Amino acid sequence: MKNRRLMLRACVLLALMASAFAVKVGDPAPGFTSVDSNGKQQHLSDYKGKYVVLEWHNQGCPYTKKHYESGNMQRLQKEWTAKGVVWLTVISSAPGTQGFVTPSQENEYLQTMKAAPTAVLMDPGGSLGHLYGAKTTPHMFIIDPNGTLIYNGAIDDHPTTDQSDIAHSKNYVSMALQEAMGGKPVAAAATRPYGCSVKYKD
Amino acid sequence: MTSGLRIGLALCFLATAIATAAQETPAKHARVELLSRQSAVAAGSEIQMGVHFQLDPGWHIYWVNPGDSGQPPAFKWKLPAGFTADEIQWPRPERIQTNPQIADYGYHGDVLLIVPIHVPQVTNADSDKQDKLQFAAEAKWLICREVCIPEHAQLGIALPISAKATEDPSAAKLFAETRRLLPRSLPRGWNVTARSTHDDFVLAVAAGKRILKAEFFPLDPGQIDNSAPQKIQPTPTGAKITLKRSDILLKPITVLRGVLVIAGGPAYRIEAPVRQKIQ
Repeated sequence: MKNRRLMLRACVLLALMASAFAVKVGDPAPGFTSVDSNGKQQHLSDYKGKYVVLEWHNQGCPYTKKHYESGNMQRLQKEWTAKGVVWLTVISSAPGTQGFVTPSQENEYLQTMKAAPTAVLMDPGGSLGHLYGAKTTPHMFIIDPNGTLIYNGAIDDHPTTDQSDIAHSKNYVSMALQEAMGGKPVAAAATRPYGCSVKYKD
Repeated sequence: MTSGLRIGLALCFLATAIATAAQETPAKHARVELLSRQSAVAAGSEIQMGVHFQLDPGWHIYWVNPGDSGQPPAFKWKLPAGFTADEIQWPRPERIQTNPQIADYGYHGDVLLIVPIHVPQVTNADSDKQDKLQFAAEAKWLICREVCIPEHAQLGIALPISAKATEDPSAAKLFAETRRLLPRSLPRGWNVTARSTHDDFVLAVAAGKRILKAEFFPLDPGQIDNSAPQKIQPTPTGAKITLKRSDILLKPITVLRGVLVIAGGPAYRIEAPVRQKIQ
């Protein structure tokens, strides 16, 4: 019984992948099941009723480093998870490419960097990345408590690798969460993500 | 002569030699230098300078719109008083598609990014013809293959002043070759318009002749889906090119700007007015 349900879920996932490679703001965010760095299954549906942030990640990418070595990403993770937001970091780097890590390497990294996502989803096959059309690291998505995608794009408005730019950047993720939680429409709901390309298998 | 003096003189000589010639700066996976088409500067003229990248095989840098990932090079100029630098003149890019979902726009191999420099009517060094003018650019760029490396360099060149601007023949050749790669304005009689449909933009190119193969490079990010294949449909008077709308485009646009590269031919600057779909 459980196997059949799992199979059905896999089929739905495949069907979704075949139909669209990307998601649009205002549309329902496609559901997924993914294994995290602690070996636990994470279902998007588990977080219905909460805001969910998806953050595409590659620890070797200079744009990701900008936001982790400065502590900016960790600051955002702590600030928003403290307010009840679910923060899922996603690693879609294929084995043998930059940013690919084993679960234990990732957990070590989280500890060293004092990162505080809710969970890190291991996506070496790239299916979750393709499902959302993730293009860069970082690439940020926000899903509202109803399961609607409300943000797709960059982390902020300075597409550079310079940490010194962070202080005078507009952080699109914080802006969108603030607006949405305040009952306002998200002004910048879709922006051009910037960074390294996601290192997909194909 | 003491050996100290001798070394000192040698150093002075070396310093002078460096100041007169453009320096090729070794960077990661590339050699980069500041070049001038002119070997001397004349008051009131325009000189052509350019940052010359010689990239290692497989490595690339980016166009002004980098596409799905990456970042274009940027230069911060330090020029003699009264001199001003124009915008970078971007040669036609190539499409760099690493997988079906991600397409970038950039350059491989040998790339010259030309920047016109405007010379004031009167230069400070006019009184002393021996003086050389120092031009410097702080260049920042991202170089990628499978991975990306942010790079920067301080580039410089010194040029003498003369009554008449003179060309450096070896540089002039490279500048002339690069200018052929710059997008030009549409030929007289050509016309390009765009129509917005639910999923696509359809570019209608009227050229008075059939176009079999062409490619569009969008200047503004986030309008078209970079990685989607462009469908070209030749017509007796040109072609129709279907471009998939970007998922991050939420509002209607009135103009589609970019570069149209005709296969085997030149590249043209496009500013196509966009007609909205009829609801």
